Amino acid sequence: MFSLALKNILFYKGRSITTFVLTFLSTILFVVYVSMMDGSHKSMLENTLKIYTGAIEIYHKDYRDIGGNEYLIQDVKTITDKLLHVEGIEAFTARYETYGLLSSAENSAASMVAGIEPDKEKAISSISLALKEGAFLSDDSGSCLYMGEGLVQKLKLKLGGEVAFVGGASDNSFAADIFKVCGIFKTGSFEFDLSTSFVSRSYFDKLMLSQNKASYITVKVDNLEHVDTINKKIVQTLDSEKLESLTWKTLMKTMVEAMEVDSIFGYISLSLFLIVIFFVIMIYGFINVSSRIKEFGVLRCIGLCNSNIFSLLFYEIFILSTLAILLATPIAGTICYYYSLNPIVIEGIAEMYKDYGIVSDEIPFDFDIFTITWNLAVIYGLNFLSILYPYVYINSFRPIEATKHV
Amino acid sequence: MIKLQNVHKYFFKDEPREVHALNDINLTIEDGEFTLFSGPSGCGKTTLLNAIGALDSIDSGKIFLDDKEIGSLSEHERTAIRLHEMGFVFQAYNLIPVLSVEENIGFIMKLRGFRESEIKQRVLEVSSMLEIDNKLSSLPHALSGGQQQRVAVARAVASKPKIILADEPTANLDSKNSQKLMDMMRELNEKEGVSILFASHDDLIRESVRRIIKLNDGALVDA
Repeated sequence: MFSLALKNILFYKGRSITTFVLTFLSTILFVVYVSMMDGSHKSMLENTLKIYTGAIEIYHKDYRDIGGNEYLIQDVKTITDKLLHVEGIEAFTARYETYGLLSSAENSAASMVAGIEPDKEKAISSISLALKEGAFLSDDSGSCLYMGEGLVQKLKLKLGGEVAFVGGASDNSFAADIFKVCGIFKTGSFEFDLSTSFVSRSYFDKLMLSQNKASYITVKVDNLEHVDTINKKIVQTLDSEKLESLTWKTLMKTMVEAMEVDSIFGYISLSLFLIVIFFVIMIYGFINVSSRIKEFGVLRCIGLCNSNIFSLLFYEIFILSTLAILLATPIAGTICYYYSLNPIVIEGIAEMYKDYGIVSDEIPFDFDIFTITWNLAVIYGLNFLSILYPYVYINSFRPIEATKHV
Repeated sequence: MIKLQNVHKYFFKDEPREVHALNDINLTIEDGEFTLFSGPSGCGKTTLLNAIGALDSIDSGKIFLDDKEIGSLSEHERTAIRLHEMGFVFQAYNLIPVLSVEENIGFIMKLRGFRESEIKQRVLEVSSMLEIDNKLSSLPHALSGGQQQRVAVARAVASKPKIILADEPTANLDSKNSQKLMDMMRELNEKEGVSILFASHDDLIRESVRRIIKLNDGALVDA
């Protein structure tokens, strides 16, 4: 049957070339599209995690749901000492966040003011890299404030301008101070830039009485794909009912859901394309089979059973799709690999889609062998499915009836 | 042995244009017969040949091939009978267009699992007998009607089946080739004991066969 299938492929050149070209193009398009979609999701996630949210964050239980000073982590040092021994952690830092009122000479705005450890923060987030004007914080930067560009504009401030802060300290007393805008940042995340400012913890802890306390400890892992495993290790190491350790999947549930929805729509639009390709291949196969009904009738008359006929159709599509996929895979793989190293740059895309967490104009591709493999399996599957209807059509004729088919 | 009992076959059944193609056929054909179904066009010769060859179904009655009732067999079993016990020569040649003459002749032998050397030898034997040995590498569309008919005959006889069903095998052959074909068929019948059933108008076949079964309007006139 295999050699007969091969002869059929060579004899019916038009159909063979069409099937080959369609399979070849759809393989390249499918692999590249999925790579681009996965790559942009990965990039969105990495960028967002880099800005401020860590891969893992450790909280006192109920801090996220109820909040308040009684749910602050009280003994940061003990916890961070334990974290030093957990494999897979690249860096960590303790943050103290509070909400207060920032007032300039002309305007007031509510803001999250976070006390951070500037040197450690550099290893964890890209806040320091988002600097637009002035300078990032240091351990001895005192009352310097590192403020989001949106907030600066809202308060009608400039670099070097003064801003009054009023908030609640960690012992529930009032805390107030005058800060100086030493640095302005722009992450591209609209909401974040409009509502966030940072102060060095060494200064802020004295004001807020938050030494050795933290709203949470944020952790950077060496491999994001192992985040769940590392989180389990952290939970085991901390071994405390009072603490909870959460991964980005929980912390950024909305974003994860948005990416899933985006993926679903991406796959739906891709499916529509693949359905069109599938039907074109099937219709070509069907037209080809229709013109060969007599031939199939003869084969059945002289002794080929239905399974032989199925094998014949199977081998024909197998040979064509294998050739097309073998040729398309290195091309598609090379495209994905190249653009995973040299992302496509579309000027202004980050500005356009800033509300969706896109902070870079680069669209990197994701080069993943497993993803490419299942993409190829889908193309194979579609090709094999395309022979089912022609096969049923062949069998709808009695053998002798088929030999008289025109 | 082939035995037909009260065989009826209709085309367009229960329609105004209904045709009673086979009308109460009762017939026995012994092993090794050299028989012709004759009669005017449309009398049911080809229909009867197709029914015996398990190529077409019948509406009532029974057809036995030795002890097997063809109607009770599955499509798979009927296919196996066609492959292993029968050889067909169709009126319209029905060669496989993508296979060369050599491959067409040896195709059934290959399906039946003959050895390559045996296939090659037999293909040469029948092709030289039918004078198509110089066309072995040609594709069917490069052959004349007569040559295609000879390839169809060669394909049917090459695997030495138990029964050969030949529908107008000489229709596209000149008298010389027709005579050669009949000589080969007779030789196959006499030496190998192959039962050969023809459906034809050809006088040459009429003169060559040992038994003539006459049909008219789907019924047996003289068996």
